[in-house]
Amino acid sequence: MLYDVRHETAYTYATPVPYGRHLARMLPVDRPGQRVLAAALTIDPPPAEWEDGRDFFDNAVSRVVLDVPHEKLVLTVRARIELERRPAAVADATPTVAAVRRAAFASDDFGPRAPAHQLYASRIVSLPSAIRDYAAESCPDDRPILAAASELMSRIHEDFVYEPGATDVKTLPLMAFEMRRGVCQDFAHVMIAGLRGLGIPAAYVSGYLRTTPPPGRPRLEGADATHAWVSVWCGEAVGWVDLDPTNDMPTGEDHLTIAVGRDYADVAPVAGVIVGSGGQRLKVGVDVVPVVPREATALAEKPVAASLSP
Amino acid sequence: MRAGDAARRTKPKAGESLVAGYRPLPGIYDEMVEADGRVRPHWQRLIAGLGELPREELARRFAVADRSLRDSGVFYRVYDEDGGGERPWPLAPLPLVVAADEWKALARGLKQRAALLEAVLDDAYGPATLVADGALPAALIAGSREFLRPLAGVAPPGGAWLRQYAVDLGRGPDGRWWVLGDRTQAPSGAGYALENRVAVSRALPELFRDLEVQRLAGFFQAFRSGLAGLVRRDDPRIGLLTPGTLSETYFEHAYLARYLGFLLVEGGDLVVRDDAVYIRTVAGLKRADVLWRRLDADYADPLELNPQSRLGVPGLVDAVRHGSVVIANALGSGFVEGRALMGFLPGLAQRLTGSDLEIPNIATWWCGQPAERDEVLERLATMAVGPAFEASLPEVLDRGMTLGSAIDAPTLARVTAAIRRRGADVVGQEVVRLSTMPVWREGKLEPRPFTLRVFVTRTESGYEVMPGGFCRISSRADARAVTMQDGGTSADVWVLSDGPVEAVTLLSASDRSAVRRSTGVLPSRVADNVFWLGRYLERAEATLRVVRALVGRLDAVDAASAPPIRRLADLLVTWNAAPAKPRPVGLIVTAFAAMTRDDLGGAIPSLASAARGTASSIRERLAPDAWRVLGDLQRPDQAPPAQPTGADLFELANAALRTLSAFAGLAQENMNRHSGWRFLDLGRRIERGIATARFAGVFGEEAASFGDLDVLLELADSQITYRSRYLAGLARTPVVDLVLLDPANPRSLAFQIGEIEEHLAMLPGGTGGGPLTPPQRIAARLATDLRIADPATVTVDDVRAAERALLSLSDEIATRFFSHRGRPEAVAAEELG
Repeated sequence: MLYDVRHETAYTYATPVPYGRHLARMLPVDRPGQRVLAAALTIDPPPAEWEDGRDFFDNAVSRVVLDVPHEKLVLTVRARIELERRPAAVADATPTVAAVRRAAFASDDFGPRAPAHQLYASRIVSLPSAIRDYAAESCPDDRPILAAASELMSRIHEDFVYEPGATDVKTLPLMAFEMRRGVCQDFAHVMIAGLRGLGIPAAYVSGYLRTTPPPGRPRLEGADATHAWVSVWCGEAVGWVDLDPTNDMPTGEDHLTIAVGRDYADVAPVAGVIVGSGGQRLKVGVDVVPVVPREATALAEKPVAASLSP
Repeated sequence: MRAGDAARRTKPKAGESLVAGYRPLPGIYDEMVEADGRVRPHWQRLIAGLGELPREELARRFAVADRSLRDSGVFYRVYDEDGGGERPWPLAPLPLVVAADEWKALARGLKQRAALLEAVLDDAYGPATLVADGALPAALIAGSREFLRPLAGVAPPGGAWLRQYAVDLGRGPDGRWWVLGDRTQAPSGAGYALENRVAVSRALPELFRDLEVQRLAGFFQAFRSGLAGLVRRDDPRIGLLTPGTLSETYFEHAYLARYLGFLLVEGGDLVVRDDAVYIRTVAGLKRADVLWRRLDADYADPLELNPQSRLGVPGLVDAVRHGSVVIANALGSGFVEGRALMGFLPGLAQRLTGSDLEIPNIATWWCGQPAERDEVLERLATMAVGPAFEASLPEVLDRGMTLGSAIDAPTLARVTAAIRRRGADVVGQEVVRLSTMPVWREGKLEPRPFTLRVFVTRTESGYEVMPGGFCRISSRADARAVTMQDGGTSADVWVLSDGPVEAVTLLSASDRSAVRRSTGVLPSRVADNVFWLGRYLERAEATLRVVRALVGRLDAVDAASAPPIRRLADLLVTWNAAPAKPRPVGLIVTAFAAMTRDDLGGAIPSLASAARGTASSIRERLAPDAWRVLGDLQRPDQAPPAQPTGADLFELANAALRTLSAFAGLAQENMNRHSGWRFLDLGRRIERGIATARFAGVFGEEAASFGDLDVLLELADSQITYRSRYLAGLARTPVVDLVLLDPANPRSLAFQIGEIEEHLAMLPGGTGGGPLTPPQRIAARLATDLRIADPATVTVDDVRAAERALLSLSDEIATRFFSHRGRPEAVAAEELG
């Protein structure tokens, strides 16, 4: 499946901002099942300094500095991404919760995708007993991990109300858990807190959903903005499996990944520090459109810009 | 040991009464005496020396030590914030004595440990071969919040992670020293050790000299040149990065910055430009080459580390990545402090340093491994359990390290379940029983357990260990290491030498150093504070003069005095030094309010506290005496009587004025003539000019009476000059000339402007043939106006215009020099759907 993505993040300031330093994690990169055919980030006004690199979790990072007074800052990503259909893991054939826990703490992997990084409390996700106990109902030690995690996902979807505005970016998992409501970010944080509390590695994934559903299927929640879901480690052999508690589904042909981290703080699309804005407004627009195959071939063969993702 | 000492090996007579009745705790090693009560050889000279002093003299000496600490300003924090901050470990006067050869062995072991931790850091942030080889579990590194992932793969600029490292030591019942913990993040205590040394060596100077105690100055010198040597620039600029005045160890930061000649900077003073770190100074941005970090690394950069931090520098991690700034200790060093790692260090020592740990660390079982977990579960009652990485483990071990034997049943159930579920969060540790040392309590010596913090620094030629340390003594006799808590005392540590010690004078160390000159750079935040310190002090002085003039006239019987007195009272109300209502307010009440009310912004207590507020963030630049004077102003020794008379208030105001002139004298004599002093004096001159103009506006009107003119002369402190110059009585024209226009009268408005012009010319951008700066332009115009004015025709409007000019001069100075005021803010975070 082939998609064209356009993601625009626009800041408007009340008074001109003379200086800003930003860190953008907006460019998608190749991942298992995902190929980035072309991707480019444009920033207006053009930054004085611009460095591209990878962070600890191997996400693309752009570090930029703006030093001319500006009242508006617009960061836009355009990308063409191909998703391959991958065989779904058979839930009942995955190792047990206890086996995964044991393997995770004993793992000698320290790379970007190592389970060890996703085992502990992180900046936003603490491990409160309330969420852990809620998760434990689905996760007895002898149950296959994917069956357990899938049930937890379904329960969150069932028990929680999807309600934009009920929470904001600063809402902590325990607050969302107690209110039983929130948006994708809260659902993901709660599920991560529950799994990690039981010693199961769980990561936070940011990405996109297609904006309009295929004919005959309902529109998915979270399609107007950047979306978030959970990646669960199912042991060395199976590896990471992505589950979307907001839509109660494993990710498949509709989920495009931007970045992976321990929680939102690791993958925030734009972080930045400015001097003297006198107030700011943020507007985000996301379009994810499937590409018809013939047109796609033509475009993909075009030479691509310098900031093409490796 | 020298020949003469052999004779003194037996229990010295002079000290006998001192140690009579002193007995070690059962089964516990005591530093001073052996189990049978005999004084150990290396303590004998101290005990004999103390024994020679009569008890009253001993008490007096100990009081000297106490006062010495007070003089250094330590205790003043008590007044600053409500309920906040007396020094956590006040001084116990008796030092801990350590023999020379024992110290040598300790120092060797500590150097090995520093090298070991350095190697672990290097590997964890680099190739991570220890993990790949199974020597360190991945989950052990990943579990530490202080393992800072943005720093992975970044070699620390300057080539090392640890520049100053501290180890907490304790001695077990068998006489062996044990490492209780490592401090790699931003160890505190070196400054307290230095202070304790100054205080105790002052109290016991002969003993300190006779015992050949090793000096501390060399260590600090080595630390400083170690940092300076990392920079290739001729004049490297070293800053001490502090979280600010609210930090509980701020006093130590200020003290050490002053001692080492480092620039004390806060995050807001620093800015990253072109991948390098700069200090915002009154002369623009100046490069910072080295930062000695006393701020936890996670707070150091809100952009790449903790976004909640308001103490850091956005982009600092990126500057490190580009190798343009040395941070000591390097960002990320904190992770080797974790308790869990201690369980692995004995094994890692063999692999990384080629030999066993020379000083063992306290046995530690990390429950992230099955065998260790089972061991801890089995022996929980005889161990201490605690969080593996942090100070506390929420909902399980909220209070940190806990004795297994002291855990109640519900907590035990929680801890056991937590270990079974997520053992990686927990460690078990052996319970160490600490040795004791003597403390002076109610006229006699008693044994108390202690821990010893020792400092190691990295130099070009290897590690150096401070011959001394920060010794913390428990207030209770319970010798288990886990029970050490705040509330005890601290002691100086006397490491004896086996040869004569080189006499290095401590506090005047190395004015020759090139590093020292760099304090000439003045951060604009500091300039701002110094400037306002000057303004507040001068405002207090003006208010005091009004009060004194007012109460000094209360006894006057002539009717002519009444209107000026009323005007003085009105002035206090206008300045918000006294309440306006209910009217009419009695004159005494008005004056009393100006002296005592802390809820009125213009009254003396408020001004004094504002002055101290600005001064508290520039402590390292003020002489300790000057700081004390400010304390006196805020809390005078002499409390005002409940029903004061005019004479009482006159005396009170006089005493406060004396205090202020003591400060002015100290500033004049003791502050170096760098820009800091200029900003202080600028603030004073501007405020004095404003006050003089206001006085002239009220008491120098065209129709001013003799009484008015008399008040004006008094407020402008110009009576004597006037009388010596004009033998006839008071007349407006000569009074106006003297108070406003005479450039030779140090109290006149013209004189203040002259001084202001001189300061502005000496500040950055003030000379060099370019056009005048905006503040200079205002000052020059005002100076000219005053020079050409005719004293006979000066009007109140002219005076008001001068006052307005001074106010805008103050604003222009702020715009030009105080660039730190624009605080950075974070951009809004994008909400995910």
